[in-house]
Amino acid sequence: MKKKMSNRDKTFWAVIIPVLILFFTFNTLPMIKGIVYSFTNYRGYGTYDYVGFRNYLDLFTDARVGKSYLFTFKYALAGTVLVNVLSLIMALGLNSSIRFKSALRGIYFVPNILGGLVIGYIFSFIFTYILPAVGNAFNIGFLQNSILASEKYAWIGVLIVGVWQAVAMNTIIYISGLQTVPQEVYEASMLDGASKWKEFWKVTFPLVMPFVTINLVLSTKNFLMVFDQIMSLTKGGPAQSTESISYLIYKNGMDGGQFGFQSANAVIFFIVIVAISVFQMTVMNKKEEQL
Amino acid sequence: MRETKKTNWVLTIVLILGTVTVFFPLYMAIIIAFKQPSEMTNDVAGALAFPAKWSLDNFRQAMEVTDFWHSLGNSLLITLTTIVLAVLIHSIAGYVISRGMTRIKGFRFIYLYIVSGMFVPFSILMMPLVKQTAQMGLGNRAGVILLYLVFYMPMNVLLYTGYMKNIPMALEEAADIDGASTWKTFWKIVFPMMMPMHATVAILTALGTWNDVMTPLVIMSGTGQNTLPLAQLNFQTQFGTNYNLAFASYILALIPILVFYIICQKQILNGVANGAVKG
Amino acid sequence: MPKRKIMKGMSVIVGSVMVLTSLAGCSQNSESGKVEVELVSYKPEAVAAFEEIAELFNATHDDIHLTIDSPNEAMTILKTRFIREDYPDIVGIGGDVNYSNFLDADLFMDISDLEEVGMVKQSYLDMDKELEFIPQDGIYALPYAANAAGILYNKDMFEEHGWKIPQTWDEFIVLCDEIEASGIQPLYFGYKDTWTCLAPWNALAVGLTDSDICNQVNMGNTTFSESYREVADKMKVLLDYAEPNPYAYGYNDACTAFARGQSAMYAIGSYAIPQIKSVNPEMNIDSFTFPANEKEEDNVLNSGIDLQFCVMKNCENKEAVYEVLRFLYEDDTIKTYLKNQGGITCKEGDFEIPAELEGMRAYIEEDRMADFQDHHYPSEMSVDAMIQTFLLDNSNHATDTFLERFDTEWTRYNRDLIRKVQQYQQEMEDVQ
Repeated sequence: MKKKMSNRDKTFWAVIIPVLILFFTFNTLPMIKGIVYSFTNYRGYGTYDYVGFRNYLDLFTDARVGKSYLFTFKYALAGTVLVNVLSLIMALGLNSSIRFKSALRGIYFVPNILGGLVIGYIFSFIFTYILPAVGNAFNIGFLQNSILASEKYAWIGVLIVGVWQAVAMNTIIYISGLQTVPQEVYEASMLDGASKWKEFWKVTFPLVMPFVTINLVLSTKNFLMVFDQIMSLTKGGPAQSTESISYLIYKNGMDGGQFGFQSANAVIFFIVIVAISVFQMTVMNKKEEQL
Repeated sequence: MRETKKTNWVLTIVLILGTVTVFFPLYMAIIIAFKQPSEMTNDVAGALAFPAKWSLDNFRQAMEVTDFWHSLGNSLLITLTTIVLAVLIHSIAGYVISRGMTRIKGFRFIYLYIVSGMFVPFSILMMPLVKQTAQMGLGNRAGVILLYLVFYMPMNVLLYTGYMKNIPMALEEAADIDGASTWKTFWKIVFPMMMPMHATVAILTALGTWNDVMTPLVIMSGTGQNTLPLAQLNFQTQFGTNYNLAFASYILALIPILVFYIICQKQILNGVANGAVKG
Repeated sequence: MPKRKIMKGMSVIVGSVMVLTSLAGCSQNSESGKVEVELVSYKPEAVAAFEEIAELFNATHDDIHLTIDSPNEAMTILKTRFIREDYPDIVGIGGDVNYSNFLDADLFMDISDLEEVGMVKQSYLDMDKELEFIPQDGIYALPYAANAAGILYNKDMFEEHGWKIPQTWDEFIVLCDEIEASGIQPLYFGYKDTWTCLAPWNALAVGLTDSDICNQVNMGNTTFSESYREVADKMKVLLDYAEPNPYAYGYNDACTAFARGQSAMYAIGSYAIPQIKSVNPEMNIDSFTFPANEKEEDNVLNSGIDLQFCVMKNCENKEAVYEVLRFLYEDDTIKTYLKNQGGITCKEGDFEIPAELEGMRAYIEEDRMADFQDHHYPSEMSVDAMIQTFLLDNSNHATDTFLERFDTEWTRYNRDLIRKVQQYQQEMEDVQ
């Protein structure tokens, strides 16, 4: 018997070792290399020197990097809040007793399956030509100029596209959350004569709380890594107001000869993402326990 | 009869009207794709109007400019290979990890090691990977597939290990007693039972890889190979200000996934929901 | 038995990876018997010209097959390829800071033994020399075509209204007012694409500052705050004569607008002419040097190397590559290129200056030209975006903020270079 078990163990190791090698080679190893590069002034080609912590010190004094963090956080925060509120409302609507339920669910999911880049190009045209035309026709001041050309509001254009795509996914997750709420719970609350509003906050919301956690973590992470929409809508402009961290790392790391410096930026970005995710999960877990 | 069973028509109508937000951008894209440059006007009515005639000329031209079939082929090759390999490799990894955790020291650590990869942003891997894949001769479609297998491993392993909790050990033990090897047990008994999770994994992986721009952009750029989204990026200059041509090309890039979605809509929605609940 | 199981487990995973690696082979099929030469050009707008040239070359050469790629975002793609150590044989790039960087990274081959180098106009060889961070022995680029930047104008429109070509800044402003008064937009900008901000910037800067300003700053003799103030102020003035909200429109949009007569002038380089003509082939375009100064004699034409060919150091078929370069430098090939792309050739000899650059002829013939100043700006500093930021800044101290930022960022982005240059100077002194 014992020998047989150890055969099973051997098979397990035989499977897991190649998987681990694969994972290490293309995930952990490049990460380590990235950390090493972050201490150099490498351009990506040619020779380079080790420069100690200079890149990290520079990061904290670089206005452009600072701006990209501000933009990315602002975008991720607004995006996460908007997406979760909207998709929870959508989910409540799509889960109530309506007609054409599955058709409607199907339609509202469409934005999610379409690629961010192409959608970005389509919206870019709408923002630059259609909306100003509408603004001019009906004399709506704030629409008359392309929103993407405004240093102040371009990020909202990017946000609209990001949210438009992300709502779909989170709605589906909330719907499946709502479906885990047993019908009896509602019946009980109806007997108590609770209003719809009260019913939502007292009964439904606590029960879908775990899904709120998933959605918050997922959408924060996705919004923090925004790239495609920037690439197709603004390319970081105007006045560098919509440069996301990922875009800046790509742009200056690959194109701008800042291979080393942007590696340092990526290391910091990684730490930030881990910190935010851990923070969200601890806080939400506590909340879940309280309820 | 419960009150909630009654159809809420007000809500139904509101939700139907709301689909405009989904359809409007697509409608715009389609009519622009059919128009001629001379039909492009700056007034609202003109912008929203149907094209003068529905000609497929722009589409034919766009196909030529972007080498459509070639890009489509690459996208299909990359996505399909990734799905098949992800289902095969990630499922067995998930199985081994979940069963191993209860009996072998170190497997719990392996589990955490792989799953923690979910937090690693592509940005930190990007630059070293560009160098590394090139040195290994993987700066091509194969490299992109391999990278996807690694990038989606954390999520898929998490999904599969989670799902294994639903498959009773008793089945495997029975097979063990019958003298079947672990290997055989997995393929004959466990793998088929993982079917719902296979669908989820396949769909989530497919949606992610099909639309991804960044990985092929940095890994395959300059090799002459494009994926469908990458072609849109690379041919921007060729489109110039001929938005009609560009939009025809965008529509072409969107059609395959839309068709796939229309056919497998139910499975996709279930798959996504399933992934969220289990994850 | 256990061994077999282990082998099975291994083999599925290893096997699937093997399948993948074998897929890798598919992408590299070369025609048998011929030497493949790959040229990557950074000018996607010249795609048609290069296709024609490659076709001609391949039709006349049995032993060499030439491929010319001009991808979108070519510079990014080229750099990504360098990072991957996947080098083409020849690169067609501009005479700008990228050339300096690639050369400094020791990527290029010395081509002084190519006889065509002797046919290049001296001023362009000098321009390339100035781009070397540290003076090098040998020649590393074959200058091909130069461009000139200033103002393009709609000739028919000018003739119709009787507008005169301005010689000084004041005359230019008067002209703009006059054009505006007749209900026409004087200028059109495509500032959504940040690099277009550099077109008027360079044209103004060559007239208003010394051509070696960047070196002067590196040596600590002056600051940008001192020398660029007038350039910055005049950039702002131009905005008054442009379409509202130029940040909404890109380079393509601006070219289209100018081509359709939506503006009388367009502050851009000669490289935009093919794009404009593609929208309106009938258009009658002429140009003039940017009148940046109060006196005509102070004006300088902004001209630089738009395209030059460099051979990668590790290229294997030097003979085949040289054959390609010889073909490219034949008069007929150059004419094919110029016919499609406009511009001025860098080769000595009898070539016509295109009609669109007639207004700049005097400057070209008198050699009153200076290289684009942004050719010395480090690309990661993104001066183009800094200018866009400055133009969008409507506060009173916008100019000060901008110039201060220019100076601080300059020292930061160039510090490795400055150190290197100083080290080199030190070494030279030690030798002496």
